[in-house]
Amino acid sequence: MNMVMRTFIVILLGSLFVAAAAASAAPPLRVGMELSYPPFEMTDPQGRPTGVSVKLAEALGRHLNRDVVIENIAFDGLIPALKTGKIDCIISSMTATPERSRSIAFSEPYLKTGLALLVGTASPVESAADLDSPGRTIAVKKGTTGHHYASTTLKRARLLVLDKESAAVLEVVQGKADAFIYDSLSVYQNQKRHPGTTRGLLRPFREETWAVGLRPGDTQLRDQINEFLKKFRADGGFEKLGDEFLPEEKAAFKAQDIPFYF
Amino acid sequence: MPRWLAHTIVVILFAALIALAFSRVDYAWNWSGVWEYRQKLLQGFGVTVALSVAALVGSTLIGILAALLVGSKNVLLEAVGRVYVELIRGTPLLVQLLIGFYVVASAVGLENRYVVGVLVLSLFSGAYMAEIFRGGLAAIPQTQRDSARAIGLTPWQSLRLVILPQAVRLVLPAVAGQFVSLIKDSSLLSVIAVSEFTLAAQEVNSFTYSTLESYLPLAAGYLLLTLPLSALSRVLERRFRYET
Repeated sequence: MNMVMRTFIVILLGSLFVAAAAASAAPPLRVGMELSYPPFEMTDPQGRPTGVSVKLAEALGRHLNRDVVIENIAFDGLIPALKTGKIDCIISSMTATPERSRSIAFSEPYLKTGLALLVGTASPVESAADLDSPGRTIAVKKGTTGHHYASTTLKRARLLVLDKESAAVLEVVQGKADAFIYDSLSVYQNQKRHPGTTRGLLRPFREETWAVGLRPGDTQLRDQINEFLKKFRADGGFEKLGDEFLPEEKAAFKAQDIPFYF
Repeated sequence: MPRWLAHTIVVILFAALIALAFSRVDYAWNWSGVWEYRQKLLQGFGVTVALSVAALVGSTLIGILAALLVGSKNVLLEAVGRVYVELIRGTPLLVQLLIGFYVVASAVGLENRYVVGVLVLSLFSGAYMAEIFRGGLAAIPQTQRDSARAIGLTPWQSLRLVILPQAVRLVLPAVAGQFVSLIKDSSLLSVIAVSEFTLAAQEVNSFTYSTLESYLPLAAGYLLLTLPLSALSRVLERRFRYET
């Protein structure tokens, strides 16, 4: 038997052992999120998932003593992926809405936020109610709570449904849309990026909470996650994540007395 | 066995195979949620039909023009045609749409996203059409042109009576294929918030969380558009057939 052959067999046996060892441990926790919502879900320059939700998922994995696999899935594909068993839970800045609750279960909320408006400097809009008239155009990101709110509550305005947050911002920057409806944090950040062309109406006109999405029958995991969230909050984990990823935003929201997060 | 019988049998076999696959998936069907949004899907379908028809005409005209440019003896015109074809064929439609709408159209003050969508789609598909047309003309042997001249036909007569009838037959299958691609590519217009068929289905999906129930009508709708096109192409091919 030559050298190559021997090496090959050693590698083969080795990988068999590794596979056997992996199979005996608890199955990894598959967490679904869309990695395009910094600083909550994003990738670092090397392409590895990072952000608040990723750190949260990793802490959850340590709590449960399970490995964590992050599955990067488009936002409106997350619930179907959960329902068909491709992932075990969703941690993707997802608002717990009554509509979604008919389809999936949610953990206790872990974060409070709300819908706000990114308005073009040229637009006279001062509130969400101003948008509900035939001459107004609203940009939303597909499948978000802002999309749902606009299509059910602001029926008289023209609605632009976009795939990407950046395109929706561009619509406002170029004056093609009066406002982009999104959560207050994103509105704040986008306003910073386009100071001359946009205004941020940050005070939430509708409060929302984010929670972990789960399959309705998966009560064991839900109880475990609720227990983890309680412990994580008590240990100051959320405070630390806020300081790590959103120091500037935290201070700005506090200064304007707008309810912020965690 | 007649052809229609063979086709029917194959379709039934495929349908049975797909039905079998679906029956094995553990999926809670919820058609009532999607049914509530049928108006939205129908509207989206209408928009896709209108966009596709407009872009079919546009891309054919642009394709003919570009084929003439590329085949031109004037080096400048030839360069314009070449650069257009290579630039468009070498870049993604997604990028062309975003730059076309947010940069170029904004710069010239064209604000209607439906018009811009049709224009970009026509330009995109036109580049492929140009190459198909050029290939079709180039495939007619030189002897045909020489013979036409030898029997005293003018250049225009030779084009109309000799070259085109043969070229049309050659390019028809490729043109039909390009049209089918064009109809499906129109779904990308959703990135500039054109509310066409695919966006409508995606919206219904995000409201009802019924993925398969939203997308199966989408597939059926596109087939409804593309199948007649393929059929028409086959009828035309038969009409332009000649004895060899």
